Amino acid sequence: MTLSTPSSITTQLGQQGLGEQPWWVEQWMELINSYRYKKRLERAWEYARSGNVLSIRFEGRRVHARVQGTEKEPYKVKLWLDVLSDEDWAYVLEALTQKARWSAQLLAGVMPQDIERAFAASGKRLFPFKLQEVRSECSCPDKANPCKHVSAVFYLMGDRFSEDPFVLFQLRGRTRGQLLSELAKRRRKALAKQARVRAAANGGSPAQAAAGLLPVHPAITDPSRWWRYDAALDPDLVVITPALEGDTGLDAAGPLPLAEEPRCPGANRLFLDQLKLQGQQMASLAMAAAMDHGSAEPAPTS
Amino acid sequence: MSLLHATWLFPPEGSGGRLLLWADTWRVASPISPADTAAEHPFSLGVDDLAEWLDDHDLWSEDLRPAAATLTLPSRQQAAKGRRSSATGPWSGLPMQAGEPIPKQLDWWPWQVEGLALKSAAAGAWLSRLPLSGDQLDLADDLRWWSHLQRWALSLIARGRYLPLVEEGRARWLPLLNREDDRRRLEELSSRLPQVATCAMAEGGPGEALLACRRPGSGRLRVASFLEALVDGQLRAGFKPEAQELDPLLQAWQRALGPGDGQLGLDEEETERLEVATHHWRETVAGRVAAARACLELAAPAESEELWGLGFSLQAEADPSLKLSAAEVWALGDRDIHLGEIAVPQPGQLLLEGLGRALTVFEPLERGLDSATPEAMQLTPAEAFVLVRTAAAQLRDVGVGVLLPPSLSGGLASRLGLAITAELPTKSRGFTLGESLDWSWELMIGGVTLTLRDLERLQAKRSPLVQHKGAWIELRPSDLRNAERFCAADPGLSLDDALRLTAADGDTLMRLPVHQFNAGPRLQAVLEQYHQQKAPDPLPAPPGFAGQLRPYQERGLGWLAFLHRFDQGACLADDMGLGKTIQLLAFLQHLKAEEELKRPVLLVAPTSVLTNWKREAHGFTPDLQVREHYGPRRPATEVALKKALKDVDLVLTSYGLLQRDSELLETIDWQGVVIDEAQAIKNPSAKQSMAARDLGRPGKSGRFRIALTGTPVENRVSELWALMDFLNPRVLGDEPFFRQRYRLPIERYGDMASLRDLKSRVGPFILRRLKTDKSIISDLPEKVELREWVGLAPEQKKLYNKTVEESLDAIARSPLGKKHGQVLALLTKLKQICNHPALALKEGAEAAISTGGASAAGDNTSGTFASRSAKVQRLEEILEEVIEAGDRALLFTQFAEWGHLLKAHLERKWRAEVPFLHGGSSKTERQAMVDRFQDDPRGPQLFLLSLKAGGVGLNLTRASHVFHIDRWWNPAVENQATDRAYRIGQTNRVLVHKFITSGSVEERIDRMIQEKSRLAADIVGSGEDWLGGLDMGQLKDLVALSEEDAA
Repeated sequence: MTLSTPSSITTQLGQQGLGEQPWWVEQWMELINSYRYKKRLERAWEYARSGNVLSIRFEGRRVHARVQGTEKEPYKVKLWLDVLSDEDWAYVLEALTQKARWSAQLLAGVMPQDIERAFAASGKRLFPFKLQEVRSECSCPDKANPCKHVSAVFYLMGDRFSEDPFVLFQLRGRTRGQLLSELAKRRRKALAKQARVRAAANGGSPAQAAAGLLPVHPAITDPSRWWRYDAALDPDLVVITPALEGDTGLDAAGPLPLAEEPRCPGANRLFLDQLKLQGQQMASLAMAAAMDHGSAEPAPTS
Repeated sequence: MSLLHATWLFPPEGSGGRLLLWADTWRVASPISPADTAAEHPFSLGVDDLAEWLDDHDLWSEDLRPAAATLTLPSRQQAAKGRRSSATGPWSGLPMQAGEPIPKQLDWWPWQVEGLALKSAAAGAWLSRLPLSGDQLDLADDLRWWSHLQRWALSLIARGRYLPLVEEGRARWLPLLNREDDRRRLEELSSRLPQVATCAMAEGGPGEALLACRRPGSGRLRVASFLEALVDGQLRAGFKPEAQELDPLLQAWQRALGPGDGQLGLDEEETERLEVATHHWRETVAGRVAAARACLELAAPAESEELWGLGFSLQAEADPSLKLSAAEVWALGDRDIHLGEIAVPQPGQLLLEGLGRALTVFEPLERGLDSATPEAMQLTPAEAFVLVRTAAAQLRDVGVGVLLPPSLSGGLASRLGLAITAELPTKSRGFTLGESLDWSWELMIGGVTLTLRDLERLQAKRSPLVQHKGAWIELRPSDLRNAERFCAADPGLSLDDALRLTAADGDTLMRLPVHQFNAGPRLQAVLEQYHQQKAPDPLPAPPGFAGQLRPYQERGLGWLAFLHRFDQGACLADDMGLGKTIQLLAFLQHLKAEEELKRPVLLVAPTSVLTNWKREAHGFTPDLQVREHYGPRRPATEVALKKALKDVDLVLTSYGLLQRDSELLETIDWQGVVIDEAQAIKNPSAKQSMAARDLGRPGKSGRFRIALTGTPVENRVSELWALMDFLNPRVLGDEPFFRQRYRLPIERYGDMASLRDLKSRVGPFILRRLKTDKSIISDLPEKVELREWVGLAPEQKKLYNKTVEESLDAIARSPLGKKHGQVLALLTKLKQICNHPALALKEGAEAAISTGGASAAGDNTSGTFASRSAKVQRLEEILEEVIEAGDRALLFTQFAEWGHLLKAHLERKWRAEVPFLHGGSSKTERQAMVDRFQDDPRGPQLFLLSLKAGGVGLNLTRASHVFHIDRWWNPAVENQATDRAYRIGQTNRVLVHKFITSGSVEERIDRMIQEKSRLAADIVGSGEDWLGGLDMGQLKDLVALSEEDAA
């Protein structure tokens, strides 16, 4: 029996060659592969691949999973990281506000590659450095920790991170929403202070005052706007063209950041291929409909 | 007439919704005072009527379902019946309709309408059936807005600009609006959103049916949600969840993306997992729809510096010129701002998010975001080049604005081109197109000129961005090659080239775009006249012209002479009533006076106006020898025709004969060909069109071509080709090219760019002035009287002669006492024959018109009915123009039976209601007809009135045309009728058309009135008593067809 060695185990993304896996997934896989008991890892991988991990759920600061073992009832696995204290978070947030790029990337949905530098300010880390930092519990009778059930969950966690990279923040005690709003609050405070300093220096009021009243909609002052529309069709919509090769929204979005069910390998790709194929068919239909415009009546939809 | 609207019905919460179709119509309604729920819209069409209406208009769909909604509409306050003051009591009034004049005081009230609704997928398919351009009489503007939105939805689907997502627990397809052009489109469609499209209260939501109003929205989010619904509906309908071997999660998602409501049927946890993952997936491609975006502004390096500047700012989506620098944004702290009138919440957050997105496509930006409040950064020349060349477009596509220095901002101006200086040679008067101009040129790029040597020097720097004369320019490898080729060729420049290059932007000379064209003063004068940027030099009425030209007519004459000099065909398309006939006659007289008229000119016109031409030519240009080539006695051989045309200046013939006698007419060496009512040749493959175009082809000796028409030819794309092929065949190319290049894009999709190009091509050859033009209106009297001379159709002629013959015999034999009555009866009958034989023969409307319809083919529903009367033919031609122009007309007749016949005929022909007010109409009917004509925004355009019943007391100032179809003895009665339209409150010029059948009793009456003869005084003074006193000779003179016309 040939079994892929753990070191060659990669995520779905790598296997498909659709692109590099996000760095945080890579980092997670490195973490797992640093584990000393290779045999146990192999078994865990086998477990994960054959679909024994029934579910993984992020609930607050913990990961709950159910893994089908030898017994009838699946084992319950819990994983968690050490949560950062509020004080630690204050340091992290302070550091994050220092560099506009971090906020900018987090707001744009990108996990900054050097995020650990912000965490370094508190002397903590976002990513666990060693596997031992990942706390785990399993309801199985196996004494070893991590047991193969836990390890199987480890494997699948990497992909789950790619569904939502900010889940790591969550495990450390702040959801993305909380993080962003706290960041905004801090930034506003800092900016307000800066503004006051500036205003004092300039001896005047800041650039623009916020208007309190809702502006009157132009349709109120010009009620003919209730009915009037006198624009010609946008020249770019005259001829409806297909996407350039590789220029659709699906192409731009790239691989689906959805952890794959191990029993259905390649399902994500199959799904995307199907979307693209049908997208092309629907594009042809749309172009035909646009071309026929004004010349014939399309059949009514059912 | 009913007007169809479409309004989106929002669900009480969440996304989606339905499209409600409803229509309002004009009817009498008394003011309504709503109680505690919204009142029913008094003008809206019931569901059954609406269904029938849609079916009639080929807009029915099996997917339509009855629905009701509460709409917020501008409403006019009006006191309820029996109440005096409205200030104290509860509000009462009526909803306004599209097109009604807006009163000063306006309120907004909710009104309940019923209609038919479509789900989003069906709505898309249905909207695809609507016209994309042009004014539709019964489709409201908001439907065109919807059809444009649907076209955009199709474009997004075709370009694959969408992602499947899970949101709010449902699977759905979301359009991606991150691309620059899509975002611009969203702004445009939002800022122009007709509020009626979005004025419904949410379905079943709080406030529905209550007295609550919907606030007009800023639009952007609403429009995006409509678009989402249309895209989602159509993709959902087309998507087939077929993939096998998916895991249960994907399987559920796939199924929910197909037809249905998008429910996943998964547990909460799995649903949330999909939501989070797909949200993250989408976020990397496109952000949310916002009012403003981050903007990067590239600044060229200062003198002797090397690094470029890149400033950060926030820019309004709706108006990119509204910007706020990053420094100002940071200074705002946590306050919201307004950019112009646009509210921008959380500006700092928005700017940061945009910068984060920008970083994903333009890496050098990372350096600039190190501080907490970055405002600007510096770029190396290489980075700046990357930004200009490639990153700018990518940044715009992820929703980040990019501003480049003007000389680098892309477009034609930043390409290498030419600056030309040219003038007419001193000897030349600029009369021939082929002549060479004195000219010089320089190379130009980004607004600065440079020599070939400069170009070589700059190219040698091997830097893509170079500075020249203070401006930064981007050189491309092909630039030097093109410039060298141009210099080597050293081409000449003709007047023709100059005209082409100055006609439209973007024209090129040997592949180089012309950025600047400096014409010397004399050339400039020619160019301006040619492009009609300046009114043509007026030419006074030529000697021998018996009449006066109004100032604009002198300009028209000057213009005809101007194009004639260049041997270019001209189309005079002045509005009806401005005197095209006079201008053409003046032009011919001008040629005659200059002794340039050496050979006959052929004028082709519809049979119905030949008489008119003859009369007008006789009156205005007595020097011109005019001959009709018409009737059975016309010359049939070349020899006979040549003989007949000796010393003749103008030959009149009909389109029918042009076709029938084409071989004969070809044998004559015409000096020019004029086609009147030029729309007659609009169909390129029709025989008369081909015959006219063949005849217009300049032979060896050159032949001028002039077309006359009162229709807005430049807007009738399909008709332009044949016209231009007659006038100047080279201008629009051959027909297949024309169809592909112009006709299809413009007619089907309303492509403005093609239309503009087309107009600039044909513009120099078409002169169209409107009665309403400022420069014209001052030249025109407020009331313009036009005599419409018409002949008699063969049946009319026969009947007329027979009636005269028989009646004169009878009158001669009858006793004196009865004579008076018989004379009167004869005159009445003759006038009826001039109108239509069916009237004189007392054929019923059914019989007369249906036989006409039955024997006629295709669209020519008027067929035989019109062909039996020359007057009806002419009337139809003029009414066609009136209706086309959106004007309104009163039609007076003295015969009630004629009114009924004509009403039936006109209604059939134009498929529109034509009210007829006559002695038998009740008082309320009369008031309703008048109100409707005056007040209904989409009221009837034609209004028939009997002279006696409608001649006095009414106020019909909405009409700008008055037709007197038959003549009355008393001009005062006619004038009174005319004054229904021409009275206080009339803001337009009124055109009064008086029909006169030439050679008939009508002409005699007209002449008597004109000459104010003794007889006329009698007529005016004492009614009809004088008729009895006529002796047989006088009577015969009065009624008999004159010889010429009897022929």
